[in-house]
Amino acid sequence: MPGNGKKKIILLLTIFSMLIFAACSSVSDKAGEDEGTLDVKESFTEDHAEPADTVLSAVNFEHNLDSYRPQKDHYNFYFTYKIVHPWWDAVALGMEEAQRQYLDRGITVTYEYMAPDHASAQDQAARLTEAEKKDYDVIGVDVADEDIISPLLDKMVDAGTKVMTFSSSDAAEGCKRIAYMGNTHNYQDGADLTEALCEKLEYKGKIAILVGNPGAPCHEDRAKGASDTIAKYKDMEIVATEYDKDSVDVAYFLTKKILKDHPDLDGIVCCNMSNPVGAARAVMELNSSAVIVGMDHDEEALRYLDEGIIYCLGVQDCYSIGFDTIQTAVKIADGNMAGDLFPEKTDEITTVIYQKDAALMLELLYGEIL
Amino acid sequence: MKQKKQITTKTFVLTAAIGSLLITAMVIINTFWSAKQTGDATDDAVSAVSSFYLETMADSHAKTITSLISNSFDEMAIAVAYIEDEDIHSQEELREIIGRLESLLGMNQFALVDENNVVYTRYTTYTGRSRHAFLSQESLDDRVISIGTLYGSSRQLCLAIPTPGLSIMGKNYKVCFVQFDIDYIADMLADDNQGRTHFSLYSKSGSNISGTPLGPVISNQNFFGAIEGLVSEEVWNKNRENFEKGKEGSLTFSSDGANETLSYVPIEGTDWVAAVLIRESVIQDQIRDVSERNLETSRNQIIFTLVSVLVLATILLLQFSKLSNEKLEEEKKTSRNFRNMANTDSMTGVKNKHAYSEEEAYINNSIEKGDFQKLAVVVGDINGLKYVNDNFGHAAGDQLIMDACNLICEFFTHDEVFRVGGDEFVAILRGENFDRMQEAITELNRRVEANIKEKAVVIAIGYSILEQEDQHLSDVFERADRMMYERKKELKAMGTPTGR
Repeated sequence: MPGNGKKKIILLLTIFSMLIFAACSSVSDKAGEDEGTLDVKESFTEDHAEPADTVLSAVNFEHNLDSYRPQKDHYNFYFTYKIVHPWWDAVALGMEEAQRQYLDRGITVTYEYMAPDHASAQDQAARLTEAEKKDYDVIGVDVADEDIISPLLDKMVDAGTKVMTFSSSDAAEGCKRIAYMGNTHNYQDGADLTEALCEKLEYKGKIAILVGNPGAPCHEDRAKGASDTIAKYKDMEIVATEYDKDSVDVAYFLTKKILKDHPDLDGIVCCNMSNPVGAARAVMELNSSAVIVGMDHDEEALRYLDEGIIYCLGVQDCYSIGFDTIQTAVKIADGNMAGDLFPEKTDEITTVIYQKDAALMLELLYGEIL
Repeated sequence: MKQKKQITTKTFVLTAAIGSLLITAMVIINTFWSAKQTGDATDDAVSAVSSFYLETMADSHAKTITSLISNSFDEMAIAVAYIEDEDIHSQEELREIIGRLESLLGMNQFALVDENNVVYTRYTTYTGRSRHAFLSQESLDDRVISIGTLYGSSRQLCLAIPTPGLSIMGKNYKVCFVQFDIDYIADMLADDNQGRTHFSLYSKSGSNISGTPLGPVISNQNFFGAIEGLVSEEVWNKNRENFEKGKEGSLTFSSDGANETLSYVPIEGTDWVAAVLIRESVIQDQIRDVSERNLETSRNQIIFTLVSVLVLATILLLQFSKLSNEKLEEEKKTSRNFRNMANTDSMTGVKNKHAYSEEEAYINNSIEKGDFQKLAVVVGDINGLKYVNDNFGHAAGDQLIMDACNLICEFFTHDEVFRVGGDEFVAILRGENFDRMQEAITELNRRVEANIKEKAVVIAIGYSILEQEDQHLSDVFERADRMMYERKKELKAMGTPTGR
C-alpha cells in the first residue's frame, strides 16, 4: 500500500473519531446539564368550575382600609349585640381583619364584643349604661329593641358619648346615633324571600312566619316584609307567627307545633339565622312538604339548602359589615361625622341563593367541598 | 491463481459487510435493551424512593405537628403559671400580659376564658360560646384539641387546657387556649417539602380536617370516599382499619394513567392522621424527559456509529480493492517475467524452443481456422560449431552462437527470432518483415560469405513461405530446413572451416 494511502486512512479515522466523540460529548453534556437542573414541578392545577357570580358576590372577603389617616395610635371600642350567635361571629371576623390591618399600620384597635346568651333589650341597656361609664372611644350596638334602646342611645349621645349602631339592626328613625353599619334593607329581605316562596307555591297556600326576637328591628322588619308580601296574594294565608329568640332548638319546637296544628302548611318564612335550621329539622322529622325560605349562612342551613330541604336563603355579607364597623368606628372616634368619610347608613348587601348555589357557598364560607 | 485471488477478496468483502451489519444490529439491539432495562429500573427506583421518601416525610410531618401541639400545651401551662403570679388590676393590664406572653413564648392567639365564656385576647374581649365549640362545656377536665371551620372557610386548630384555680380581678377563669390557622401549619409543612408533595390532615373517619388538597384525585374529599373504586375492597378495608386503629400505612393507586403514592402516620396525642402524597408521574415525567434525552443521545450515537462504520468500511473496501489490484498487477508482471524467462534463450536472449512451440501451436491453430496469413519461416544453422567446441572450447563455441544470433538479429527483429537447437535458429516473418524477407536474406548470405574469408561466423540460411496447402507450420519449416541444408553444402564448398 502506498504511504499516502495509509496517511489518508489514519487522518480519516482520526477525524471520524473526533466527530463521534464531540457529538456524543455534546449530547451527554446537555443531558447532564438538564439533570442538574431537574425541576420537579407541581403536576396539576386545581380544576374549579367558574363560580357563579351570585355566590362570589354574596360575601366580600377582600377588604382594605381606605386612605383615611387615624389621629391616634390606639383606639378602644365597646360593641354589644343581640345574642351570642354564629352570625355575629361572622361579623367579628370582618372586625378582626380591620383590626389586623390597622395593626399593620401601627395603630392598635382594642375592643370588647359582648352579648348575652339570651336576647334581652334590658340586658343590652344595662351593658350600654355600664359601658358609658368607661372611657371607650366609641360604643357600638346592634339594637335588640329599638323602642327601648333608641332613647338610651339618644341620652348617651347627648352626654357626649360617641355611639354607632351596627350589624343587623339600627335604632329607630330619628335616633341620634352617629352612623349605622349593617343591613339597611331587612324589610326588603323579608319581602324578597317571601316573594320567592310565593312564586314557588304558585301564589297559594298556608304560610307560617318564624321571627327572632320580639322588637328586634331586623327580625321584625323582615317579618313585616313577609306579611306584606303574602297579603298581596288572595290565595295565600298566614296561619302562624312565632318568635324563636334566636334559638335553633326553639325554632325546631315551634315548627313542629305549627306543623301539628297545620299539617297542610305549605311554606315557612324564616326571618333570622336560627329559624331555618330549626324549621328544616322539624320538616324533615315530620316528613312535611312545607317549603322553607330563610335568612343567613348557617352551615347546617346551607346543607339543607344543598339537599333541597330549604328552598332559598338570604345571605348577608357579615364580613363586610364587621370590617366597615371597625373602620367607621375609628373615624367616629376621631370626631368625624357621617358625610364624605363614611355614610350615615351603609348599604350592605343580601343575596338570595338557591340549591344550585349551596355547594359553592359552603366551600366559600366553610371550605367544604361536597 | 487469478481466480483464487478474486474468491479471497469476495469472501473478505462479504465477511466485512456481514460483520459490520452484525455489529450494527448488536449495537442497536443492545441500546434498546439497555434503554428498556433503564426504564424499568427507573420505575422501580421511583416507586421505592417515593415510598421511602413519603414514609419519612409523613413521619416527620406528624412529629412536627405533635411537637407543635406538645410545645403549645407546655407554653400555655407556663403562661398560666406566670399569670397566676401576676397582680392584675385591669383588663388593659391583662391584655398587656397576654401580649407579652405571646411574644415571649411565641404563642399564637393566646386567650383566656372566664367562667362566663368571655374570651380575653391581646386586643379583644368577646363572648365566645358560639365561636368555640369546646366552651359549650361547663368545665374542662383535660386538654382539648379541636379543629373548627370559621365563616370564610378559615380552619383553626385550637388547643385548650383547663385553668382551675385561676382567678383574675375576682373572676374565675376556666380555660386558656391558643389557635393556629390550619393554613399556617400546611404552609409550614409545605415549606419543608418545597411543594413537591401534598399534605393533608385527616380524622379517623377520613375527613379532611386541614382543608388542604391531597393531590388532584383525593383533593379535599373524605379519604375513603375518594379512594373507593381506586383500590381493591381489601386494600380499602385495610387502610380504613389502619386509620381507626391509629396505624401507619401506605397506598398506591392509579387514576387517569397517573400513579399516586401516599403514606400516612397517626399523630401522637390526637385522633388525626397525617398523610403525604406524591404523584409519581411528576417524578416520572421529569425522569422521562431525562431518559428521552439519553435515548436521543443513544440514537445519535447509533447514527454516528452507523455512518462511521459505513464510511470506514467503504474506505477500507476501496483501499483493499486498490491494494488487491496493485498486487494483481504485480503478480501479472511477475508471471509475465517468469513466462518470458521460460520462453527466452538464456544465452542469446532471443526466444527459445519452448517459445517456438507455443508460437507454432498458435500458428497451427490459425491455419486450422482458415486464418491464412502471409508468413515465412527462415531456418538458420551455424556452420562449424562442433569444430569450434572441439578445438577451441565451449566458450568459443558459445561466443560463436551469440555471434550467429547477433548476425541474424541484424536482419530480423529480435522478437521473431527463436533458438530452436544448439546451433539452429528460426525466424518467423510476418507483416513488413515478410515483405522485405528476400532483401534481408540476400544481404545476410552476402555477409555470411564474406565471413568465410574472415573466419567469422557462418550461418546456413533456408527459408520457405506458408502455402495454402500447408496444414501445419512444420510443413513450411521442413521446406526451409531442406533449403538450409542445401545452402550448408554450398557454404562448405566455399571453404567453411568445418561443417556438420
